[in-house]
Amino acid sequence: MSFPHRHDLETTTLLSRHQGDETARSLEGWRGLGGYEALRKAIGMSPDEITEVVKASGLRGRGGAGFPTGLKWSFMPKDDGKPHYLCCNADESEPGAFKDREIIRWTPHLLIEGCLIGARAIGSAHAYIYVRGEFFEDTRYLTAAVTEAYEGGYIGDDIMGTGWSCDLTVHTGAGAYIAGEETGLMNSLMGNRAEPWAKPPFPAQAGAFGMPTTVNNVETLSTVPGIVTEGADWYTQWGTEKSPGTKLWCCSGHLVRPGNYEFELGIPLEDIIFEACGGTPSGKPVKAVIPGGSSTAFLTGDELDCSTTYEGMQEAGSSLGTASPIVMDEDTDIVAAMRRIAQFYAHESCGQCVQCREGTSWVVRILQRIEAGDGELKDIDTLYELCEQMTGRTICVLADSVVFPLRSSLDKFRGEYEARMSPSLVAVG
Amino acid sequence: MTNGEAKRAVTLTIDGTEITVPQGTRVIEAAERVGVVVPRYCYHPGIPTRPAQCRMCLVEVEGRPKLEPSCTLQAQDEMVVHTASDTAEKARQSVIEFLLVNHPLDCPICDAAGQCMLQDYAYVTNQLESRLNEPKQVMGRDRVADDILYFADRCIICTRCVRFMRDVAEDDALIVAQRGHKAYIDTFPGRELDNPFQGNIVDVCPVGALVHEDFVFKARSWDMDATTSICPGCTTGCNVTIDTKENQIVRLKPRYNPDVNSYWMCDHGRKHLVMTNRGVRAEVPMVSVDGALQPTDWERALDHVADLVDDASGANGAAIVSANASNEDLLLLLPLLGRLDVSSIVFRVPTGETAALPTVPKLQLRADRVANAYGLELLGAERVEELPALAEGAPLVVLDDLLEGADESFGATASPFIYLGTRLPAAARNADAVLPIATFAEMDGTFTNFEGRVQRFHQALTPPGLARPGWMVLSRLLARLGEGDPLSDIGAAFDRVAGTSEPYAGLTWDSIGLKGALVSGAGATAASMGSGS
Amino acid sequence: MSRKIHPSVVGAQPFQLTARETFDGPIFETPEGKERLEMALSRYPQKQAALLPMLHFVQEKKGWIEPDDMAQVAEALDLTPAYVHSIATFYTMYNKHPVGRHLVQVCTNISCHLNKGEEVLERFLAETGARQGEISDDGEFTVIEAECLGACGFATVVQVNDRYFEDVTPEKVADIVAELRSTAVGTEGGS
Repeated sequence: MSFPHRHDLETTTLLSRHQGDETARSLEGWRGLGGYEALRKAIGMSPDEITEVVKASGLRGRGGAGFPTGLKWSFMPKDDGKPHYLCCNADESEPGAFKDREIIRWTPHLLIEGCLIGARAIGSAHAYIYVRGEFFEDTRYLTAAVTEAYEGGYIGDDIMGTGWSCDLTVHTGAGAYIAGEETGLMNSLMGNRAEPWAKPPFPAQAGAFGMPTTVNNVETLSTVPGIVTEGADWYTQWGTEKSPGTKLWCCSGHLVRPGNYEFELGIPLEDIIFEACGGTPSGKPVKAVIPGGSSTAFLTGDELDCSTTYEGMQEAGSSLGTASPIVMDEDTDIVAAMRRIAQFYAHESCGQCVQCREGTSWVVRILQRIEAGDGELKDIDTLYELCEQMTGRTICVLADSVVFPLRSSLDKFRGEYEARMSPSLVAVG
Repeated sequence: MTNGEAKRAVTLTIDGTEITVPQGTRVIEAAERVGVVVPRYCYHPGIPTRPAQCRMCLVEVEGRPKLEPSCTLQAQDEMVVHTASDTAEKARQSVIEFLLVNHPLDCPICDAAGQCMLQDYAYVTNQLESRLNEPKQVMGRDRVADDILYFADRCIICTRCVRFMRDVAEDDALIVAQRGHKAYIDTFPGRELDNPFQGNIVDVCPVGALVHEDFVFKARSWDMDATTSICPGCTTGCNVTIDTKENQIVRLKPRYNPDVNSYWMCDHGRKHLVMTNRGVRAEVPMVSVDGALQPTDWERALDHVADLVDDASGANGAAIVSANASNEDLLLLLPLLGRLDVSSIVFRVPTGETAALPTVPKLQLRADRVANAYGLELLGAERVEELPALAEGAPLVVLDDLLEGADESFGATASPFIYLGTRLPAAARNADAVLPIATFAEMDGTFTNFEGRVQRFHQALTPPGLARPGWMVLSRLLARLGEGDPLSDIGAAFDRVAGTSEPYAGLTWDSIGLKGALVSGAGATAASMGSGS
Repeated sequence: MSRKIHPSVVGAQPFQLTARETFDGPIFETPEGKERLEMALSRYPQKQAALLPMLHFVQEKKGWIEPDDMAQVAEALDLTPAYVHSIATFYTMYNKHPVGRHLVQVCTNISCHLNKGEEVLERFLAETGARQGEISDDGEFTVIEAECLGACGFATVVQVNDRYFEDVTPEKVADIVAELRSTAVGTEGGS
């Protein structure tokens, strides 16, 4: 196992400070690093106080959508007499993203602490961590940490003698990207197909096991202990007003130093790609970057001076997503890359909504044909039309997710598509 | 809402028409009240779960950024809905295009052709050309039950069938296997469906993916005639439609009646009637000449029977009627029996295993496998287990009982022995006259079900040969005996029932309508009849 | 590292495809089966939630899940066999067919695609002599193309049973296959 956190930039390491330090994995080591003090403090606070400080910190969900975390917690009903559940989304499956795995395997106690604080904030006595099934090794670290924490009195009954109790269960998935969608995750947790459901009911009304539930990402929850310890002002010293704090960046593709990096939000994307990651191994120019994981829109090599914030990436025509830039150098075949991305979505569609079930696989077949040199110019129009029809019409956003890269690749690399068209079929004049 | 304690009402506008509905009503149902049927696949009014997954019923709601599924969208005050705006129509058109990507377009050999919601909606979306330039995915065919085939390529994964089994029949034996474009409907490997109500999955299938094997290649939908009827398979009296082709019953389908069978029916009812296409029928009137039955015409036959009745003198006569006889048939039989001084009217009831549909309490396959046991009792007939012993020289009238269990000489000493029937069992050859009558499917009439609901059925088939409805034949015979005018109109025949039998007082053929009506005092008797199942 | 699991933590343990046991009799009447079922049931408010963990358990022991196993899981959790079949076929990690001693899953998704993932897959097929999805003649390998394994910074990523091989290049494949061949049954997991 290699430690991924390599950097040349001055980085801000709130989350990843202990990644690479094996002592952080054990309960003893974690406590030596000041572990579980945030939890102790949080148990001394009321649930509303915790929610307020997280609200004030401006922390936004790190799973891709960027919804304000404190606000999400405030949707949970109070004193309704029902069990509440916190689900930690560790079903990290977005192509390009590999940040949660690093948190899980290096600092499992940080995640546990975050889950318990989150559970306290929403009035939950049982938190579930839904880890994707493929993370065997990482799940071992996590379950070992949970075991130690139970034995040490940090999970379970009467935590740290405070009288507050909360259970925590690690639940492993079994191979389904769509289980990373919050309603899909809850369905999967309940032993169903990981099919997203149409809202309402919203998770805060009737989520896991029919009870009010909040689903938060691993990185989000792992950020919470720091905010609880140090306060909202401490957190907002980094980043921008709309995108405060720091963020883990998962850099992959054609890079000299791919890997996981933590930066203050707002630094230029090009600094991450060229300074931190050292640019392309071939030394050739960057042709394209998908900045937020494979379900975000392509940027060209000329569009990388954008600010790495939620609003900055939107301004640049893409989105921050899971902050997972996939870098492609000049020699990259965009049609093949796009075909491969589309294949993923066709494979992962749960199959409920028609546009997604049929649309994703149709897109793949068209792209395969173009890639094979049998395309026709009108295929480009068809693809645009499919993008239109697959946007905003379905229960969840999986269909939209293939549209973002597809449409932007057509917009920005149309020439590459056209160059692949069968010569006999290209219209004359 | 007029009863004062109703739920709060909300008023919304759908396609320019204002409508007030109870709170909680979904837009797709509110729209039906203003005559707008929003296209749909996964939504079925009889299946409680609404996954909103076919995306066909998306509608535009003013002030909302995205199209909304009208099957789950709750009607709200001041909501303005456009079911057929350009955006909504475009979205619907694209759903059809997507559904056709892998659909085999095998309509020429598909049994659902002509009654297919995919065909219908594809037709109205006005798409002249296919943009599909790829080979279609081929999945093939499977069997999900001993009598139901599944054509995976036609399937649009609306999951109505899965949800009928899970949420209505509460038998979670049919599922979606795999996912995405590889998804298909399946049972557990090596295990087929085994549920007495499974045939309904064929009815709910909006396309030709689920087909009854015995219906495959049997009839095009446009070659069939559909008739409103009642299933005679048991005393429940499920409302059905009889599909016929070339004067043969091809299939039965359930017809919605919230007070009886909801949208469903059992497989026993669905199948047993098709069997009546077979067998030899009594087609011509016959009278006994020198101890042998000779064919004749109606005039002579009826004259002959009238003479027999006039000449009858024996006491302690018997009448044996089929428990599938209509109320009108039995009612018109009563004056004849009066003339013959017959006071004992009996019927026998074959019974079988019961089966219940858990979520629709009234819908059961009841033990009594006959249509009109309750109706016959209301008119004074008595249920018996065995054929009655016959008094020598006494009159005997049989109304379509097939005389199972009778020996060959049954009725030989009766005088007279009048047999009205659809078929000719061996013992009927001892009759002095045989009058061929129509089956319930060949005439109009009423049955009264287990809880006292009188329900209309209509003529679906032409009777064979000279056979005519029993009530019609009897009214002509009675006219010859000086008892009223001949009847040709079922309404008039039912009026006689209503005018004679107290429980039916006040009802008319028209007022029964297509959903039936409870006879007076039905509740008390119904309880005993119902518990007999 | 310790494999000790606190009794109150659900038994959703990583599976060891190498063990390849068969159940002697009904799964949930074995002491381990009973214990794992009870442990799982204790962690959820509804019985059905133990479905994924119990399917994992079967696969952990046997390496794959056949219909009879699904029926047993169904019975243990008051579900229908058909329902369990639906779940088992939805999730790709459940092997519905037997696999070789080493289940090699090569990611060819975008980051790995950019780093010769397809070539790595080809090399694995060539080195093991297996056809994709089938067991090699020697029973050692099943090689399949996988979707994103969540380790994109270490492309190409290859998962062999419960172990990730990172930064795999086509050139490294021969050595990996040789190493896997040389491992004794039951020893290559648990790094």
